Amino acid sequence: MEAVLRLPRLIGIRIQSSPLLISLAALPMLVILVLVAVLVWVSFQTGIIGTPDASYTLNNYVKIFGEPFVIKVFWNTVIFTIATTITALVIGLPIAWLAERTTMPGKGLVYTIMTLGLLIPGIYTAMGWTFIAHVRIGFLNRWLIEYFGFEQGPINIATPVGMGFVQGLNLAALAFILTAQMFRAMNPSLEEAAKIHGIGFLGTMRRITLPLAFPAILAAAIYMITIGIATFDVPAIIGLGNRIYMLSTYVYLKANPPDSGLPEHGITAALGTVMILLALLFTWWYSRVLKQGHRYEVITGKGYRPALINVGNWSVAAWAFIALYFLATKLIPLLLIAYAAFTPYLAPPSLDMLSKLSLKGFYNLNWDLFWRGLYNTILLVVSVPLLTLVVAFSISWLIVRSRSRLRYLLEFGAFLPHALPEVILAIGALLLALFVMRGIVPLYGSVWLIAIVYVISRIAFATRALNSSLLQVHKELEEAAYTAGLSTVRTSWRILVPLIRPTLMSVWIWTAILVYRELTVAVFLVSHDSITLPAVIWSYWFSGAINEASAVTLLMTAVLTPLILVFWWFGRRQIMPEN
Amino acid sequence: MISIRKLCKEFIVSDGKVAALKSLDLEVAEGEFFVIVGASGSGKTTLLRCVAGLETPDIGEIRIAERRVYCDNPRIWIPPQERNFGMVFQSYAVWPHLSVFENIALPLREGAQKIPRKEVNDRVLKALHMVQLDEQKDRSATLLSGGQQQRVALARAIAVNPRVLLMDEPLSNLDARLREEVRGKIRGLAKQLGATVLYVTHDQIEAMAMADKIALMSFGRLLQYGDPMELYRRPNCSEVADFFGSVNWLAGALVGPELVETKIGRLTVCGQGHSGPEVVVGFRPESLQIAVQGDDSRENVFEVDLRSSIFLGDQFVYETTVGDLLIIGKSRVPPTCGRRLRVYVDSSDIMVFPRSGTGDPALSDGRREGGIKRLKTVSIPG
Repeated sequence: MEAVLRLPRLIGIRIQSSPLLISLAALPMLVILVLVAVLVWVSFQTGIIGTPDASYTLNNYVKIFGEPFVIKVFWNTVIFTIATTITALVIGLPIAWLAERTTMPGKGLVYTIMTLGLLIPGIYTAMGWTFIAHVRIGFLNRWLIEYFGFEQGPINIATPVGMGFVQGLNLAALAFILTAQMFRAMNPSLEEAAKIHGIGFLGTMRRITLPLAFPAILAAAIYMITIGIATFDVPAIIGLGNRIYMLSTYVYLKANPPDSGLPEHGITAALGTVMILLALLFTWWYSRVLKQGHRYEVITGKGYRPALINVGNWSVAAWAFIALYFLATKLIPLLLIAYAAFTPYLAPPSLDMLSKLSLKGFYNLNWDLFWRGLYNTILLVVSVPLLTLVVAFSISWLIVRSRSRLRYLLEFGAFLPHALPEVILAIGALLLALFVMRGIVPLYGSVWLIAIVYVISRIAFATRALNSSLLQVHKELEEAAYTAGLSTVRTSWRILVPLIRPTLMSVWIWTAILVYRELTVAVFLVSHDSITLPAVIWSYWFSGAINEASAVTLLMTAVLTPLILVFWWFGRRQIMPEN
Repeated sequence: MISIRKLCKEFIVSDGKVAALKSLDLEVAEGEFFVIVGASGSGKTTLLRCVAGLETPDIGEIRIAERRVYCDNPRIWIPPQERNFGMVFQSYAVWPHLSVFENIALPLREGAQKIPRKEVNDRVLKALHMVQLDEQKDRSATLLSGGQQQRVALARAIAVNPRVLLMDEPLSNLDARLREEVRGKIRGLAKQLGATVLYVTHDQIEAMAMADKIALMSFGRLLQYGDPMELYRRPNCSEVADFFGSVNWLAGALVGPELVETKIGRLTVCGQGHSGPEVVVGFRPESLQIAVQGDDSRENVFEVDLRSSIFLGDQFVYETTVGDLLIIGKSRVPPTCGRRLRVYVDSSDIMVFPRSGTGDPALSDGRREGGIKRLKTVSIPG
């Protein structure tokens, strides 16, 4: 009795906060800290890691910074990240401006296309562009050789710039979402003032609109750099087979060396630690830029109806641009994957090839592997969104309703997984399972290890969505239930959950889709038994069985499509019952 | 019924701590309609929420019907669920995803009492009948008007047959006309149920109209509590006097046992000996009476210059000056017999408080000596 009663005083939370709620909220943060701690701990060890025989040295760091090849990998990553950011902004920013500030028709469709861009897995684009522009097998290169007599393919996608371009195509949707908000909230009277004083369209754009938008654009760029540094899937699909390494794929190579070499976990951990530092640095920069952006007061709480710029017939050109983006990023890659799934070997589409289409790729599949992958993936898709929601709800409730100062800690903690890329969480989990939990809980090779990392990496997004939703529920609605005698759990179930159901639903579906298509964590953590569908695709692809990989991808898409449609259906009905 | 002892509550804000309740004592008798009134930030809502269990005090004790629901030593804290109160919130807190019926039924079915299903139906209908919402029972709560939502909230609070009803500014979101109508009904309903009511408002008229007893709070302390007439007529300090209506304040000096020298002359006052010669005296505008023939022999007669007068329907409010002092009066007859006016104030209507130096609140800021906030006035021509 005493302990329960003490809790509200200790934690300073208004209603008797059940210990369950607090532990649900604190647990994932604890796990993150443990993951990071293990990573740093292992990075200082050589010898037999995790045993008394290990010696603590700086050798791993000396090794990575002393080896020219690692420096080259760093360079590759820098070039890749810059190419990614530029491509994404060059595509995303104009579309955002068109959709928010001009009279271009069909804006709803633009939003649909860009959201699809977020949902369709990045590996699709990467696979598709391998088919298009690989230096040997790429169809575009083959045609160019055939018609113009090049010695070898003039376009090479398997370079840092090429891969950056592909990842940029993927992130253009994100760049769009990030900057569209800014264009929507921009005070139009600032531009109108320029017009009235005789400054033309281009002048206004150059002197007023873009400078005002600059903090938001810079913030979006930093955000994408943070993602770019740790991107795994695109460099893995395009680069690994061609021995072009980024930080993330190099780390993978060290943890899973080819040709039965010994894994170098100390090096893996040291590289992971460097990546954590980079991620934290960029996250800090990002939040600083965001804060400074507020000085401009471009974004105010007021609902403006921005003055729309009449683009007239230019809207045809605008739509051509958007259509080209959609074709290049989504449709053509998907069609090429479907094509590759039905061809016996990879050759550019032609009438001759059409006659050779067959189901051979499907017959050759290891169906046992496929079903196992599907089973594990379904297990994850069912469990992870549910767990994520329960944890995120606990965190959000404490953040929004508690008045304790500890809530700032929770808020920061919920933001952490956002700052730490999935690759780092995956390495941390791998090392934890290998060197700490080995003797205690056999987590290594278990699908639950993957589930834990998924939950953690999805918390940041889920918490933020639930925070804003819970803030809209007047706290007196809850208090009325408490005074009426409803317990805390019952109040959540009967009052809060129904009120924020639309948000819960969309977070649930969104998480399910992202879990379904996730490759990075899966590739680091799967074993024979815990393999997931994307990892099946990956293993076929990595072993050169491109047609089989395409076949599995096609099957996977067949399941993904209804999921996306469900998301759509809930997305449309996102209307809160306001009080 | 409700007994509060030495209750303290501090809030942690960004720049330190704010004491919302400073060692507060209060007794509410069974069946009493008790109104806590005060300006915003006075701590009245915090007090109510502490009683409800929605806020945990830092120090003190709260007893409800002799049962301790909060105590700092030994530590006792009963959660709101087990206190068995009805509460009406400022925002009404009508659950928007439920119908009117379900709003009232949910606490009965799933609250602490767990009332059997068939009894729930009767109880809900009875509560709805009491607030005259029988027709609306199946409507979605969000489709109701503000006044109707307020009644749903009231019905939900009384349906659980609480011994104590808590109300946090339940009328502040209603328009003025409706407010007057509803306050009579709420009081009637409470008396009919025999419930003890703790009612919080910032509106002194509302407080006077509804209360058996009023407590005035300011900065976390109770200034005075008693029946409405007592607080209006015999306030124990100038702050209380000011809160319940306008007062003409004057600085004065005690020159005899019941005699004060002021700028408008020597005034006879009632009452006991006051400490020190420095005092403030005050009287309400309606106490200023226009002298007619034969009144010259009364006490406290003085001459004023009439400046302006406005007609409010039920009364005239007029502004007068004595030298540079502004004095406001109220009258049912038009005060228009010339520029100069003879007026008087009964000694029993004059309040006398000791003056606490030049910074006396009664004589500071908006209420400088010789006047109250300037009313919008119409000048009387020539």
